[in-house]
Amino acid sequence: MHSGKNMEWLDRYRDMIPDFDAFRAVQSLALPSSCRINTLKIKRSALLDRFSESGIDYQSFTWYPLGLKLNLESPGKLVENLLGYIHIQEELSMVPPLVLDPQPGELVLDMCASPGSKTCQISQMMKNLGRVIANEPSLARIAPLRSNCERLGVMNVAITRYDGRRFPSHALQFDRVLVDAPCSSEGRERRGPGVLCKSSSKRSMDLHRLQIDLLKNALRLAKPGGVVVYSTCTYAPEENELVVEKVLDLARLESISIPGLVACPGLTQWSGRSLNHELRKTARYYPHLNDTGGFFVAKLVKKEEHL
Amino acid sequence: MSPSSSKKRNIFEPLDRSFVAELWGERFGIPPSVFSPYVFFKKANSVWAANEAIFPRLSYEAIGMRIMDLKDRPWKPTTSALQVFGQHATKNLIHLDSADARSFMEGRTLEVESEAQSGYVVVFYKGEVLGCGLYSRGLLASQIPKERRLASIEQKSEHGSKNESLR
Repeated sequence: MHSGKNMEWLDRYRDMIPDFDAFRAVQSLALPSSCRINTLKIKRSALLDRFSESGIDYQSFTWYPLGLKLNLESPGKLVENLLGYIHIQEELSMVPPLVLDPQPGELVLDMCASPGSKTCQISQMMKNLGRVIANEPSLARIAPLRSNCERLGVMNVAITRYDGRRFPSHALQFDRVLVDAPCSSEGRERRGPGVLCKSSSKRSMDLHRLQIDLLKNALRLAKPGGVVVYSTCTYAPEENELVVEKVLDLARLESISIPGLVACPGLTQWSGRSLNHELRKTARYYPHLNDTGGFFVAKLVKKEEHL
Repeated sequence: MSPSSSKKRNIFEPLDRSFVAELWGERFGIPPSVFSPYVFFKKANSVWAANEAIFPRLSYEAIGMRIMDLKDRPWKPTTSALQVFGQHATKNLIHLDSADARSFMEGRTLEVESEAQSGYVVVFYKGEVLGCGLYSRGLLASQIPKERRLASIEQKSEHGSKNESLR
């Protein structure tokens, strides 16, 4: 059930989101199930053959051949999932690893990794070669992260448990770092109604400080010229553009383009204040434009001269 | 827990590839070359496999995949590891039919006639590795981890009889 009061929180975004009424209306529609084909264990064609043989109703994403929409109630119980041939993953959650674009043989850090959907997608993009450090500060969240990596046949991931703000930088230079930051998760309302009732300006500002510290440390850990991707599943500008704006002296933004997926440019003004014009290169994904959840993604390249 | 005790707990020591290859060769007839792309680590009684030898000096919770447990005799392979290496097994493997495969994935113990020696076996269905089983005197006990089991039909339906669940 959606309480009107919770939904009213979204009204602060009325001027910022195109076709706002459709945005509000889509919140009460359940998110379609989706999965990623795990090419570490099975070829796409073999998986699709299995699905066709078992009469499983699927539809490929328009923008990513390894993503499938599933017309199923509990896809987690599919034997293909239990055997690690697929991973149940929200559609937009597959965007940040594509923007990160990790290559086989590189050293990559996933700073806020659990439950590891993006970690395992990164591993698969690297063809199980090179090294991925999957960091997760919470002990309770290590088990699901490990379990997903092992089920999916991942052999190039090591798991650490540091506070991301203090992840040690001695002699480390990562080629790429993903900061899929803790956030107010407003973009997940369609998955489980209720996240919006926790939203408040204070909560977003508390998260804002944590997010800035995480992103600054990520940039410290990246090699000069290295790529840092910052993502959240929330709409709040305090947790998105206003975080990225704080590090633009350390890194430059690159535009994000994923053909087939409708994105809106990042905000260049909020609450009567003009923001750095470069922030238009960040991407906002809204649920009513792609029939998904909501996401924010920024691609940063660490400046050569810094540190 | 203090940082120092956490560090002690998380020591992954390099382990000779030949140690792993010999044990897996002995039990499952897997050729040593299958293991050559990997490096191995030992932490307490567990053995781990990864694709790269050099990880940065950090305190780790896991490196690569946990592939075997040496605590008891015989040593126990993990289901995850069998899904990577088990395809190359030439002995101590069991092929199941459709009904038994479902029960196995539900975590059950099945009656199975096999020439496998008692102990851990690689369990196949239609040429694909399902995972680890424990075989002894005509009984095959599924070792599939709880979170990777199929929900049994019995659990799903209040009125389901045991016969139905084994279909």
